[in-house]
Amino acid sequence: MSAFAAILRKDLRLELRSGESTIAMVALSILILVVVVFALSQAGARGTEAAAGALWIALLFSGMVGATRALGAERENGCIAGLLIAPVDRATLYLAKLAAALVFMAVAEIAAVILMVLFFNLSFDSGLLRMVPILALGLLGFAALAIMLAAIAGHTRLGDLTLPMLAVPIYVPALIAGVKASAVLLGGAPFGAAWTWIRILIAFDVIYTVAGYLLFEHVMAEQA
Amino acid sequence: MNRNFIAMLGIVTALLMVAALYMAFLYVPNEATQGIVQRIFYFHVPCAWVAFAGFGLVAIAGALYLWLGDQIWDDLGQAAAETGMVFCTLVLITGSIWAKPIWGVWWTWDSRLTTTLLLWLMYGGYLMLRAAADETPQSARVAAVLGIIAALDVPVVIVSVRLWRTIHPAVLVTRQGGHGLEDPRMVATLLVAMAAFTALFAWLLILRLATLRTRARLNRLTLEIALAEAGD
Amino acid sequence: MMENFGYLFAAYTIIFMVIFAYVMFIWRRQRRLEQEVAALERRLAELTGQSSKTRSAS
Repeated sequence: MSAFAAILRKDLRLELRSGESTIAMVALSILILVVVVFALSQAGARGTEAAAGALWIALLFSGMVGATRALGAERENGCIAGLLIAPVDRATLYLAKLAAALVFMAVAEIAAVILMVLFFNLSFDSGLLRMVPILALGLLGFAALAIMLAAIAGHTRLGDLTLPMLAVPIYVPALIAGVKASAVLLGGAPFGAAWTWIRILIAFDVIYTVAGYLLFEHVMAEQA
Repeated sequence: MNRNFIAMLGIVTALLMVAALYMAFLYVPNEATQGIVQRIFYFHVPCAWVAFAGFGLVAIAGALYLWLGDQIWDDLGQAAAETGMVFCTLVLITGSIWAKPIWGVWWTWDSRLTTTLLLWLMYGGYLMLRAAADETPQSARVAAVLGIIAALDVPVVIVSVRLWRTIHPAVLVTRQGGHGLEDPRMVATLLVAMAAFTALFAWLLILRLATLRTRARLNRLTLEIALAEAGD
Repeated sequence: MMENFGYLFAAYTIIFMVIFAYVMFIWRRQRRLEQEVAALERRLAELTGQSSKTRSAS
């Protein structure tokens, strides 16, 4: 597990120095929330359902940036070749990248939640705290899937353009579950009311973390 | 792939298809509430069956490719995805045409329609990846992984979309279930149509696979010529 | 009950049109690939014939 820690520490230290990915993700989350408010306010759509929807759109698209950067930064500066030569198995590399991406996505998500409360006139109450596990599950599922798909997209001529087209349809079940659970909890219901949806999120997370762990070696094999 | 076998399968497919058409138009009685439009059902459901089967085949071919590394599994994955995409498109189109007179709308976020749409989008992503990647063993492995990842999603999609629709207020209470196969002739017609579409799918799949095998041969020849020219 | 015949007709027509288009797509691609294979095989035969000739001449 020391290789895992080394890669994770390297990624976090790089990000602390430049902050590039996280700033981009936070900025994108803010923009998406603003756009959703503008797009929906004329229709009079407000309240918890719209807020939950806006929050998950922000998660989806800022997460896409995070996953692309997790491997893209390595490609740009040529470090990926070194990483692939290093005596680290691909599964460990995957877990380290997943952990790093989760940290950055979580920062962007916290910013998005605060803005959601402000923009949609909600209140900072225990409903937000009860949403934490749901957002964590949603982020883990997305990161597990998207890091895998970002590695896959790297093999195409279209590059990063491919990622949304691969990631969005596959993520839809988790998105449905996440939006529904968030709307239920923001509406003041107890945690148990969202249990059906939480089970779907857990299933999604388990499937894609395990699949990524087992299959990552095939998408990162010889290529630099 | 033997030419005689392909021709035989083609003939069997044609015969089954004629039988299915005869049964769907002339043999089977009208369904009581939906009337004549319900006859779309006999070709719509078999299309859905082969579209889902094609999706499973893409994943199986992907797993076999990762395991055995033989080019034929990669070609099978591509052939199954393209053929499956054709039938998935047909499911959406015929479903839409059926929905209009029965439900009054071309599209509704019904659980089955939504699931099929997501399947279609995943097929699209897979084929786009294949179109945008070079023909290398590495790209083939990546496509194989995507095929597996997408297939793993299908059960989760089915469960979540069903819950999404049932917890939502039912927009369309007029839904007849569409499956009131109260007459044994309806069941017989559906079974014959299922057989016809299974044969059609297999035939198209093998035809498409044959072109991909020819392409693989072409690539080998190109390589041999390059080597021969370099040797000069 | 016949008022919706148009929908039924459209559905079945589209099914067969799409399948026919797919068969045509496969068939044309197959023919083109086979032509290319034949051309390359001729070229390869020429090349191997030539190289053996040049080798024997030198």
